[in-house]
Amino acid sequence: MNASKFRRSVVCWLVLSPVVVAAIFPFAVMLITALKPNTEVLTPTWWPSRTAWENFQTMWVATNFGNALRNSLYVSVLATLGSLIVSIPAAYALTRFDFRGREFYRQFLLVTQMLSPIVLVVGLFRLMVALGLIDSINAVTVVYAAFNIAFSVWMLQSYFATIPLDLEEAAWMEGAGRTKTLVKVFLPLAVPAMVVTAIFTFINAWNEFVIALTLLRSQDSYTLPIQIFSLVSGRYTVEWHHVMAATFAATIPVAIAFAWLQRYLVRGLALGAVK
Amino acid sequence: MTAKRVVAPYVLILPSFVLAALIVIWPVNELAQIASHSVNRFGQLRDFVGMANFRALLDDPNFIASLWRTGIWTLGVVGGAIICSVPVALVLNEDFYGRDLARVIVMLPWAVSLTMTAIVWRWALSGESGMLNSALIEFGIIDSNIQWLAEASTAFPMQILIGILVTIPFTVTIILGGLSSIPDDLYEAAALEGAGRWEQFRHITLPLIAPFLNIALVLNTIYVFNSFPIIWAMTQGGPANSTDILVTYLYKVGFRLGKLGEASAVSLVMFGILLIFTLIYVRLTTARGARA
Repeated sequence: MNASKFRRSVVCWLVLSPVVVAAIFPFAVMLITALKPNTEVLTPTWWPSRTAWENFQTMWVATNFGNALRNSLYVSVLATLGSLIVSIPAAYALTRFDFRGREFYRQFLLVTQMLSPIVLVVGLFRLMVALGLIDSINAVTVVYAAFNIAFSVWMLQSYFATIPLDLEEAAWMEGAGRTKTLVKVFLPLAVPAMVVTAIFTFINAWNEFVIALTLLRSQDSYTLPIQIFSLVSGRYTVEWHHVMAATFAATIPVAIAFAWLQRYLVRGLALGAVK
Repeated sequence: MTAKRVVAPYVLILPSFVLAALIVIWPVNELAQIASHSVNRFGQLRDFVGMANFRALLDDPNFIASLWRTGIWTLGVVGGAIICSVPVALVLNEDFYGRDLARVIVMLPWAVSLTMTAIVWRWALSGESGMLNSALIEFGIIDSNIQWLAEASTAFPMQILIGILVTIPFTVTIILGGLSSIPDDLYEAAALEGAGRWEQFRHITLPLIAPFLNIALVLNTIYVFNSFPIIWAMTQGGPANSTDILVTYLYKVGFRLGKLGEASAVSLVMFGILLIFTLIYVRLTTARGARA
């Protein structure tokens, strides 16, 4: 171990400590409250007298967690697939073709990115009323897919641009057609980019709030954020140990996936932002 | 071959264009319709009323207050996030023990949905049984419980702080992208010339990451301006509308009070403001492209 690097590490961690503490604090609150026995939740002590693992079991039933989990998975998986299916060809076109309207299309995507769902929510609401799709999780799925297109195209394109053209040119020389080259050469190389983009789209859909809050009206169709929000909003008594257990269970899988993948996001966004 | 090459890109972008346009352009058109008509709470249009919905907004003191508060909110969160993110990114760019772990921890708030974050903080800030109060008392920083969310003077600053915390990861990400593009030999040359760390930062690092800071600034402004869940899930704009910003005001007017016409007018005002931000962003990025 080298002494100067050790000293530097201590200084670095000290500088980071406020942010580190603030980032970990909510997780600590979640986990500790989720493991407090029912009777101790409202006493302002930090540590529970025993770890009440059964909270997770009772929460599952009391909060109708399974149903919301199923809805969230359904919406997020289908929205991710839908968004990828339309974004991959678009990103390919932006990377490998020079065509009139290319800049227009990029700016159109930018505008859709700027207009967050909340600004459009009244219009979307009226659109869905007109189509008779209020309370339909399929409608929510389509809206999520559409709002993720700009992000997906941006991420995919910044990776596609790093795939060298030489390989495809070599395949054309050998007499392979454009489509065959695309399927056999380009797409296999692009798989990692697609996986990363898919996971981030999934997380976006998994965490979305305002669209679901507005369009989903019955408990049966609630996704996780809305289900958990309904446990705390407008209630006289809130079962905080259940709420925190539910929040923890809904957050941890996504947080782990994110922690594992965040370096790809750093790369993809950095490439995309300066292009 | 050439005819096919001309058509191919349009065929490839068409599905994404249609889907995005359906979800964006149609609602914008709806908004314009609703904003210029009188409308019942189920969204059925009555008579054309021109600008009456906009005028009703200007007469509503809550709208004006929300507009101002949106300015403070956006400025506070974006400014705070940039100020905190520059040192964090500089540190994360150093080589030190546990850097990978530190990166993961700093990025964590990004992974959690804003709704969940806000709900957890609402609980942590609760006056009687909140864990923030018990932690602060234990460390002797305060000696009696603070009712954080009971009035705007403590609730709103707390919401801004939480906003900063969840904005740091994205901002750090963009700045790290900028830092990684600076070649090491620039610093070596500067060190040979006798430049100290602060001078190196001012004359090398800062100018070279400036374009990235600009991009982070504009994108964050847009995201924060639009950010709904933190305030909605913590206070729903309360107590007595004292923490409302435009988005929560919009939601209340539209879906609590059922005044869809006025809510659409708010949306269009926001749309206008966002368009200005977008133009600034396009200017910034194309200016960079021209120089590169």
